[in-house]
Amino acid sequence: MINNKLLKIVLTVLLLSPPVEAIHLISNVTADTRSLSVSQLRRIYTMRQLYWQNGTPIVIYVLPSQAPLHQQFCKDKLALFPYQLDRIWQKLTFSGYGVAPIQVANQQALLQAVKTTKGAIGYVETLSEVKDVNVIQIDD
Amino acid sequence: MLTSFKLMIRPINFSYALQLLCHFCLAFAVSAKEVNHDDLQIHGFVAQGIIDANHSNYINSDTSLSLELTEIGINASYQLNDDFRVAGQAVYLNGGNRYHAGPRIDYLLLQWNAFHSEHWQANFYFGRVKNNHWLYSSTRDIPFARPSIIIPQVVYFDGFRDVAVGGDGAAMKLRYSDDDVGEIDFNFSRGKSAISERQSDVIIGELALGKLDHDLDMQASIYWQPPFSGWRFGLSALDSTFAYQQAEVDNYFDSDFVYQFYTASALYEGELWQFSMELFQQRFVTEGFYFPGFFQDNLGQGYYLQTRYQLTDKLSILARHERFYADKDDKNGSKLKQKSGGRIPSYFAFHHDNMLGISYDLGSNFRLNAEYHWMQGGARLSPIVQPDPIANAQKNWQVWAIQLMYWF
Repeated sequence: MINNKLLKIVLTVLLLSPPVEAIHLISNVTADTRSLSVSQLRRIYTMRQLYWQNGTPIVIYVLPSQAPLHQQFCKDKLALFPYQLDRIWQKLTFSGYGVAPIQVANQQALLQAVKTTKGAIGYVETLSEVKDVNVIQIDD
Repeated sequence: MLTSFKLMIRPINFSYALQLLCHFCLAFAVSAKEVNHDDLQIHGFVAQGIIDANHSNYINSDTSLSLELTEIGINASYQLNDDFRVAGQAVYLNGGNRYHAGPRIDYLLLQWNAFHSEHWQANFYFGRVKNNHWLYSSTRDIPFARPSIIIPQVVYFDGFRDVAVGGDGAAMKLRYSDDDVGEIDFNFSRGKSAISERQSDVIIGELALGKLDHDLDMQASIYWQPPFSGWRFGLSALDSTFAYQQAEVDNYFDSDFVYQFYTASALYEGELWQFSMELFQQRFVTEGFYFPGFFQDNLGQGYYLQTRYQLTDKLSILARHERFYADKDDKNGSKLKQKSGGRIPSYFAFHHDNMLGISYDLGSNFRLNAEYHWMQGGARLSPIVQPDPIANAQKNWQVWAIQLMYWF
């Protein structure tokens, strides 16, 4: 049974979650691509394109599936629902047929991972403190 | 003799293949240029539930409330270099009478990324590979990645679980995607499953004292998702053969079985609604077994329709309707009853299920599922070749289950 107190805390946290202001796609400096189409981005996040144009393997970092930024990113930038990506990633991971993106706890950890991992890609909400990464333009 | 498709590819002995795999991985690990912590991924899951089946031995013989709904798994994947990866998963399953309880090596494989471009991917897998041909076949034991606690028995029959879940051999996955045709996946696999004595008991019953062997099986499937569409369509085909070698003292006789299975599927994923269906035809040929010279060639048919509605971000409801006929020319089971001299009731000729379920996400990695099934018929009760009309004395029976799951 779900504890009522726990349920209230969860609901309160959800209601107090600030809305996502903007979403910026970033990559490690070793990725040579500065712009991607929505189709290319979908191929990357659905694990159908595994390498950058210069041959560097793509390493994807994501936030937990219920993080507002992740949910907004899926809907606005990929035109996918978060549960669709979960299905694809879980199927790959637990059937042995592939690997899924690496999940990190928060935006600071995601930014740090993209900065330091060769070929990494991720997303952030603000660019004000973002340094030493490429910002990727998404072409509609 | 029974006929079946025969290909040139032969699977090798699994223990020998495992040794080869280990040598191969070691060689690559030693020669790897650098070890990156992102190359190693470890994931797992734990799920425990309670389940109850009335008027049936589906879960246990005394039809009591049961905790035999345990699923635990851990997997690891290591990228050896740009072209090769090794992965394996061990699971512990306890589903009561549905399949034998115990640990299993779910998959253990070497992946060769043979070709990749922006639009194409060609991958080959060697070792123990999972069945990836039906909508939920590769995630049937993964509590949070399947649609319900008990998945549609018409397709994912628990009694055939250990044979249908995968095998030792090889698989190929060819993927293509672009903005004009969308996404196309072609899968092919060839392999065989080692059937233990306990697994054999589930499939053919404890009165059969001989040895059941799975010969080679071949499976292929193709899936297509139109560009930017929520729909996905698929076709699959399976061809497999089994041989039973009678014991010196036995109730049954040397025999061959052929099992062929063809499916067509559709999946829709919208913001609030999801829909999936699989319809199939199966051919089940029995030569021998009950007595020398016995021959039976049945065409069975079935389908399920399933829909999920997302009530809130965390809460969804699920409804499903399933129908299965073991012999399409004997849907009401009158011939079955007549042929058995009245020993097997007519309702063992079919299996139907209507279910309602609810799913609540307690967090990004915690979920609670609950469901109720109104079952009808005994055609999806183990052992399939030895129906038990005493333990399953009623045509209508019910199952409910609640399961809590965590994954990482």
